[in-house]
Amino acid sequence: MKHNRVSSPSSLHPRLRRSVDGFVVGWNRIGRQTQFYGMTIRSIGTAVVHYKAEIFYLVAQMSLGTGALALIGGTVVVVGFLTLSTGALIAVQGYNQLSGVGVEALTGFVSAYINVRIIAPATAGVALAATIGAGATAQLGAMRISEEIDALEVMGIRSVAYLASTRVLTGVIVVIPLYCIAALMAFLAARLGTIMLYGQSSGVYDHYFDTFLIPTDLLWSFVQTIAVAIVVMLVHTYYGYTASGGPAGVGEAVGRAVRASLVSTIFVLLLVSLAVYGRSGNFHLAS
Amino acid sequence: MPIPNIAMKPLRGVGEFYAMALDTLVAIPRRPFSWREFWLQCWFVARVSVVPALLLAVPFTVLTAFTLNVLLLDFGAADAAGTGAGLAMAQLGPIVTVLVVAGAGATAICADLGARTIREELDALRVMGVDPIQTLVVPRVLAASLVAVLLSAVVSLATLIGSFFFSVFVQGVTAGYYVAGLTVLTSSEDVFILLLKAGLFGLAAGLIGCYKGISAGGGPAGVGTAVNETVVFSFLALYVINLLVTAGQFGF
Repeated sequence: MKHNRVSSPSSLHPRLRRSVDGFVVGWNRIGRQTQFYGMTIRSIGTAVVHYKAEIFYLVAQMSLGTGALALIGGTVVVVGFLTLSTGALIAVQGYNQLSGVGVEALTGFVSAYINVRIIAPATAGVALAATIGAGATAQLGAMRISEEIDALEVMGIRSVAYLASTRVLTGVIVVIPLYCIAALMAFLAARLGTIMLYGQSSGVYDHYFDTFLIPTDLLWSFVQTIAVAIVVMLVHTYYGYTASGGPAGVGEAVGRAVRASLVSTIFVLLLVSLAVYGRSGNFHLAS
Repeated sequence: MPIPNIAMKPLRGVGEFYAMALDTLVAIPRRPFSWREFWLQCWFVARVSVVPALLLAVPFTVLTAFTLNVLLLDFGAADAAGTGAGLAMAQLGPIVTVLVVAGAGATAICADLGARTIREELDALRVMGVDPIQTLVVPRVLAASLVAVLLSAVVSLATLIGSFFFSVFVQGVTAGYYVAGLTVLTSSEDVFILLLKAGLFGLAAGLIGCYKGISAGGGPAGVGTAVNETVVFSFLALYVINLLVTAGQFGF
């Protein structure tokens, strides 16, 4: 939303006034966003009761994607592919750097540790923002521009529940299988890369991988990903719902939403991991 | 034999993308070069990317430093925190740059060009005998590449400073050991590769954003979809480039 003020001829302390006004506008925007998020979360109940059909439709649409995305296999393939390449990166980088200090046997450990705690949730969050999130912003933005959202309100349909809450709920539903695919792909790519490309024996890899893979960590990273999904969908529906300024406005809203959701994804990951893992690593070092 | 349209569509997209990329590469050395547009685009891409890049780099760094240092503290090897930070810089720096250049820069480029395509401004340019590739696409692609390289330097610096403060003041690593450990596994070669990666990312993101922008169609929804596809395809391309360049650096 551009803030175009009519310039007044003269005023006391123009520079101070401008910066204060800028601060007030930003502060109010945060308030409006918070209000929208509160309303979206509160309306999830309404969405489940009244708009079940829409939710089912969105689940199908989000998991498979629309348009050109559907042709390359949809969200599932994009997420799988991204985590596949980060997993392979672990094999390449981890194996080579560790062999620089002579402990390349620990590549399995790197895969079990870094993949679970950072890479799989971060990549899943990025992929969600890029595919489902940006798609939702584009859809809602186009609806807002062509005044379809106003039409919904006129027909007596609660637009926040019908458009935003259903998408947040669907995001959470879709992310569960997506995260399973992401984690599997990351592990698989790291294992295959280390064993096939670099010729480490599979027994060594599996031994260190199994020793250091902590199942509760995997569950926590699952929780992290779900939290990320909720935040990403909230941010993206907000930017789409409030888009303005014609076709270019929709595009800009998508860009701004992607920026905002990437930053908030990382903050959510950071805060959840600081809260969950704390100072102790909970490793099986002595076992 | 007519090939079904649905099967040809993605292939045609790939072909068109390559054609536009080649046109752009051919048009780069051609005079007159639109310097004005180039500097405007550099300023624009830098303005939309710097703040998100820093906001993304610092928490990412703290997350990585935290995860690695917990491990190193358990080993009793907290003095090696700097080594981990050096590695994290070499890997995370380009990734953060990618995400920001693709998520902020390329989307804005695509939205801008897409809106112009919808309003048939590009056709008007062609009618006037002005080549949109040379006047609009070339400066944008070069601006995205240049800003990506510069941005990756800023991100690397933010990564090192951020993880220094977190390791030294929060997790109690000795400052001298941190600095000494930085160059154990990370050398100047890694820094060059980092800058090279960032340049390639910027090039790819700029090309994808421009292609999606000038091939947009179908009103506001079309522009939104084009921007969405820009994000997805540039992330895919960038992750692949990252993997290939890293593999090339170390050898298979």
